[in-house]
Amino acid sequence: MGEVKLFFGPNHPGMHGNFSVHMYVEGDIVKRARPLPGFLHRGFEKLMERRYWLSNLALIPRICVPEPDINEACYAMGIEKIAKLDVPERAQWIRMIVLELARMANHLSAIGGVGGPIGLYTASHWGTADRDRILDIFEALTGARVYHMYIIPGGVRKNMTPQIEEMIWKVMDYIESRLDDYENLIFKNRILHSRLKGRLVLTREQALEMGVTGVGIRATGVEYDIRKVDPYLFYDKVEFEVPTATDADAFSRVYLKFKELSQSIKIIRQALEKMPQSDKVNVPISKGSALRHVVPKGMAYAHIESARGEFGFFVVSDGKNKPYRVAVRGASYPQGLYGIEKYLPGTRIEDVALWLATMDVCAPEIDR
Amino acid sequence: MTAVYKAILNLVIAFFFVISLEGIARKITARIQRRIGPPWYQNFIDIFKALSKHPFSNGWIFDFGVLMALGGAIATAAIIPMGSTFWTPFPNTDNFFVIMYLFAVGSLGMAMGMVGSGSPWSAIGVSRALTQMLGYELPYLVVMSSVMYMYKTSSIHLLIEKQATNGWNLYVMPIGAIVAFISLIGMLGKKPFDIAVAPAEIASGPMAELSGKYMGLLQIMHAFSIFVEVGLFVDLFLGGGSLGWFLVKFIVVWVLATLISSVLPRFRIEQMLKFYWGVPLGLAFLNALFVLLGWTF
Repeated sequence: MGEVKLFFGPNHPGMHGNFSVHMYVEGDIVKRARPLPGFLHRGFEKLMERRYWLSNLALIPRICVPEPDINEACYAMGIEKIAKLDVPERAQWIRMIVLELARMANHLSAIGGVGGPIGLYTASHWGTADRDRILDIFEALTGARVYHMYIIPGGVRKNMTPQIEEMIWKVMDYIESRLDDYENLIFKNRILHSRLKGRLVLTREQALEMGVTGVGIRATGVEYDIRKVDPYLFYDKVEFEVPTATDADAFSRVYLKFKELSQSIKIIRQALEKMPQSDKVNVPISKGSALRHVVPKGMAYAHIESARGEFGFFVVSDGKNKPYRVAVRGASYPQGLYGIEKYLPGTRIEDVALWLATMDVCAPEIDR
Repeated sequence: MTAVYKAILNLVIAFFFVISLEGIARKITARIQRRIGPPWYQNFIDIFKALSKHPFSNGWIFDFGVLMALGGAIATAAIIPMGSTFWTPFPNTDNFFVIMYLFAVGSLGMAMGMVGSGSPWSAIGVSRALTQMLGYELPYLVVMSSVMYMYKTSSIHLLIEKQATNGWNLYVMPIGAIVAFISLIGMLGKKPFDIAVAPAEIASGPMAELSGKYMGLLQIMHAFSIFVEVGLFVDLFLGGGSLGWFLVKFIVVWVLATLISSVLPRFRIEQMLKFYWGVPLGLAFLNALFVLLGWTF
């Protein structure tokens, strides 16, 4: 039988975004795979150099659609490092809550995203419906559902009202009550076990060689989490665990995301309790109107643990009102580009969508 | 002449009843998935919209294949008895083997047309669909052989009449009924056996190149196929009765298949074959053995 070329995306129900994989298959086995990013290329990094420091806030959330807050947080933390800003304590707690909520929203849609490729659409719809409750919190807090532009250099845009705090408590209780249903529907399903267990294994050596972070490396038993390794915000003041697994297969990657949901709930509850009451939630970067803000000369790298792994911004300032250079480390870059090219050959057609789903390949992070 | 009227009634019921049921199944699935779901008549809207569009043809084999698929399904649906001898359009031709062969015409027409579209996704989907047929038909035919052996006839309406005196086959041979139901889920292409049209794997397989009217025609064909598959199961295992009873039993079987389908993921193709040729086939042979030994209820 000859080799057949198949286009997996950008127009394919199993594809998660503006991304394409050209598969060369023999029978059901993938012989070669070529990832093709570039369908979305806006030149984020270059565009940032032409905009004012604060105008960039409207641009950067677009780098990762399912979890936009991490971009704002990294950018803001980079600028604060250069300008040596003292961010108000309440703002830092609020940031933590927002980041954890974003992680939960991303994990919920990722668990549902695994339901899509294997045909368990109930999981997708449940995940989407529960994610919507988190988006309701974001709407109340920031005025927007997906792109929030809430975390700004120097703090956060608006204070969190007691009503919103009450809302978060309720949604956390609700999602916690749903976790058993998820476990029963998805993670105890024997057909799902047979589809995911032992499939798409990425060993520790392979993951370390490529630079895979997040659940990809934690599924191999390495406890690498930026929140523990290099704590930012107040992650060293809250108690939480980093779940790990040793199977390194598709199932353990999804299951780790599910386990992280309850850890995020734990973190958010502690943050709501420990957060001090105050009206001051931001400080200006420099004097004058927002468009004339300048950041002193210098460079800094800020990284955080996103839902998909280590996410970082390297910010360089030459002391003017626009950035000199901003470089983005996309969390899914290694597994989305090298991983597909190197480790998809040998798997089957059915597994390609699962690789993209369990590895959380996010196309804009690759062609940013 | 009455036979023709009855056959037309068969087709009218197959069209309106099954397409409404498909809409109701969407509603049920939506409720399980915590959605509101579309209205029950959504599938009518979908089909009429598709039929009003300009189609894109992929050559005459493609055109012919779609018509052959629809024709085969209509021909089969026209001869299915609806629960009693009175509602049997053609009492001399409602033979099980006639139905199986006529039904294969539709499937093969679909396979031919879709392969004729030239898309590799369609070709993969068709090869999966034919492999799946191999999977579910083996246990199904073993069970059917034992049913026909027991009553010494292969005429569907006679089998229905025999059940009226002897009791439903569901009670007479429960193991066989369960195996036939498992095969039915595969025939209907419901999860976990929707391998042939897996959207996220092979871009909906056979349907990849269908557009406009072709899509509409194949949706109608799908409705007639459901009528044949579920109708046959109801006739052969759930006894006879009036037309109303037939439709009620039809709804029960269909809703049960929908419920199972909405909480299961799909198998891989080789897992499906291993599954069908494992426990269901074994149970089918066990059922045949019981029938041979006369150990039926």
